[in-house]
Amino acid sequence: MTMLRAERVTLGYGRRAVVHDVTLDITEGGVGLIGESGSGKTTLARAFLGLLTPMSGNIWYGDQTLKKADLRKFRKDVQPVFQAEALDPRMRIGTSIAEGLPRSARSRVGELLEQVGLDPDLAARRPHQLSGGQRQRVVIARALAVGPRLLILDEPTSALDVTVQARILDLLASLDTERLLITHNLAVVERLCRTSHVLFAGRVVESGPTADLLAAPAHPYTKALRDAVPRLGGAPPEARGRTEAVPAPSGCPYRLRCPLAAPECERPPALRDLGGRQAACHRAEEVLT
Amino acid sequence: MTEAAPAEVRLRRTLPRIPDRFAALGAVLIVLIVLAAIFAPWLAPYPADQLNPVEAVRPPSGAHWFGTDQVGRDVLTRVLYGGRTSLFIAVAVLAASSAVGVTLGVVAGYAGGWVRDVIMRITDVFLAFPALLLSLALAMVLQPSVNTVILALAVTWWPWYARLAAASAASIATRGYVDAARCLGVPAPRIVLRHVLPNSLTPVLVQLSLDAGGVLLISAALSYLGLGAQEPTAEWGLMVQEGQTLFTTNWWVAMFPGLAIMVTAFAFNVLGEGLRNALDHRSGGARRERAEPASAEAAARVVK
Amino acid sequence: MIEVRDLKVRYGARVVADVPELDVGEGECVAIVGESGSGKSTTLLSLLGLTQDAEISGHVRVCGVDVLTASPRRLREIRGARAALVMQSPQAALSPATRLGVLMRRALKLHGVGTAPSAGGTPDEIMDRAVEAVMLDREILRRYPHEISGGQAQRFAIALAIALGAEVILADEPTSALDVTVQAEVVAVLRGLREERGLALLLVSHDLALVSTIADRVLVMKDGAVVESGPAARVLAEPSHPYTRELLEALP
Repeated sequence: MTMLRAERVTLGYGRRAVVHDVTLDITEGGVGLIGESGSGKTTLARAFLGLLTPMSGNIWYGDQTLKKADLRKFRKDVQPVFQAEALDPRMRIGTSIAEGLPRSARSRVGELLEQVGLDPDLAARRPHQLSGGQRQRVVIARALAVGPRLLILDEPTSALDVTVQARILDLLASLDTERLLITHNLAVVERLCRTSHVLFAGRVVESGPTADLLAAPAHPYTKALRDAVPRLGGAPPEARGRTEAVPAPSGCPYRLRCPLAAPECERPPALRDLGGRQAACHRAEEVLT
Repeated sequence: MTEAAPAEVRLRRTLPRIPDRFAALGAVLIVLIVLAAIFAPWLAPYPADQLNPVEAVRPPSGAHWFGTDQVGRDVLTRVLYGGRTSLFIAVAVLAASSAVGVTLGVVAGYAGGWVRDVIMRITDVFLAFPALLLSLALAMVLQPSVNTVILALAVTWWPWYARLAAASAASIATRGYVDAARCLGVPAPRIVLRHVLPNSLTPVLVQLSLDAGGVLLISAALSYLGLGAQEPTAEWGLMVQEGQTLFTTNWWVAMFPGLAIMVTAFAFNVLGEGLRNALDHRSGGARRERAEPASAEAAARVVK
Repeated sequence: MIEVRDLKVRYGARVVADVPELDVGEGECVAIVGESGSGKSTTLLSLLGLTQDAEISGHVRVCGVDVLTASPRRLREIRGARAALVMQSPQAALSPATRLGVLMRRALKLHGVGTAPSAGGTPDEIMDRAVEAVMLDREILRRYPHEISGGQAQRFAIALAIALGAEVILADEPTSALDVTVQAEVVAVLRGLREERGLALLLVSHDLALVSTIADRVLVMKDGAVVESGPAARVLAEPSHPYTRELLEALP
């Protein structure tokens, strides 16, 4: 059984929904949530962390909804890893990490710093005295302090230099926890997540094993995302479609950007099963071939 | 690990910091003025409030550097003692209004929702009170006195701090470290005290310094109108009022307390401006400066 | 279009950028690659004399103007007009209460573009052509800066450069704040301008993969020094410096 599951959740701020009717399991082996800015991926992450109450639908924690669940236990089980900026600038590193520890366990700060590959002496420093990579490690150490079973990683490396990013990814891959990784970077997902979901305009447009998704996308948006990533020595990515086109208010939200848009796309496509994966596209079969 | 200290930090450390000369001047002036007020009893050449009708309205001289007033009191002595009253009013007003304003503002900003709506509407009501009219009303109901001035100004001043703190706290509340603390199960009051409050204070400190001059001016105005400090208390605004009838013939009676008000207000203002610039600079101001020449027009503007 | 010899940028005693040689010809694209703190952005800014408090020595010619000795007036003539700077987040530099069209018209007027009868048409024609060249709709000129996306803002900044008759574009991480699909569009625009108008392009980036798809030559910088330089295909396929190798291996 999966530890955390979103069931038909609609999320938003005020009355405006940004995530629509999403159902998603956090399964074993790492789950990736891929999307561009404004796709609703961070909003969904906040709901999984219990920081945002769904407008409709439920977040299930084991066999209970998050509303009824034992929050103390939930907080120990599920921890976020935000970007390196997520440290209080006025607080010493050690104090930040100790925030989640009971008073009696404060001595574990040094141990946690070592676990993420940092010198325990850094505990006395403040965030601005550390590099971006070191700060990101501290953010990870703080999350690990309570012994979580699931880490929710929100763009944990996108602000870092490539060489630092590579080492942080090594660290994350070596941790013995489940993970939900939110990113716009397909290459990172490939490395850390067995399953992936692609989000467009607050809707899941494709789900499936990461390797399959990248090898042969079934949704035109997944394909556009994959093809836009520059490859070393590869052909320059083709720029097609108008990325500034707003999501369509009715029918398939992607249709105004889609090179395959057809009259049938004015009907909203449902997430369909395509053998081992799902895609919300009327013409998924054509995309696949 | 080769993740060395960030180059940006190293770079900034090696950059020569250009001191803000005006702000430094402001800080020095304020220190001097405060010291003068504190040590007035020792510095003043004459006992406070010593009347000497024989020596009335004498121009500045070796014996009386700032001259004497209508009843022969030494103006320098009065200006030194007046600083105590005027600065006390400013400090008391700012302390009271920032304590109330920041508390309510931080709660409103962090809690959001209906809590914020209620607090901010109350704030709006108080903002609508004209400071001078309220002081008039209070002076009529109570006695016109230093305390009345403090009360009247604090009542009309705190909403500005509430607004400022609310905006600041609302932005802090969205930071990753606040979310992280919530995910660790840290109780809300502790999050507010440990994270939100300390990180919201920066703009408040700047505003306090900028406001000090303003409070000084308004409290002087209230005293000038007879709504504040009363004879024989030495207070700068009151002294200007007493001296104004003589101004054309005996300028020094009103001039020196007036100058004291001006210099002090100026010092607080430049210090506040300097603080604001320094803090803006630290919180990404430098990056904004660099980003400016992005467009051709902006680049042209920079070199103009 | 850009000719650099023995450029050294110092802050106090510290050399933050040391570039012995850097040339960008017409229609060429040269990329400076490195991580934060490598001095790549400083190098770029110093070419337009935009580094603050820095001491710059060496020999820098941009569009035929010796930047280090030129008068502020001469500098102003090239900066912003013939040599345009494109930054990571141009939106911050766009005056928020001004429509983009008004902004562009003002920039043209400031540089006296479109005033002489022979200079390529009226300001309106120049603006329309520039906006088209970056694949934007002319309608965008009626919008305010907050009404456009990051990718549109970046392309508008490029359009502005073209309208002002830029011959060289110096771009500092122009796409790293953008989504990949949007990045692809901006890169396509830059590549098109290079091929069709012979625009010279100096690109600063941390993304080797991106650089490999657009640059002719590459300079790899680390801690202020150029550790490797050469044709992009050679440097990225057979790196000779261990740091270049490390960068390549780190690509996810």
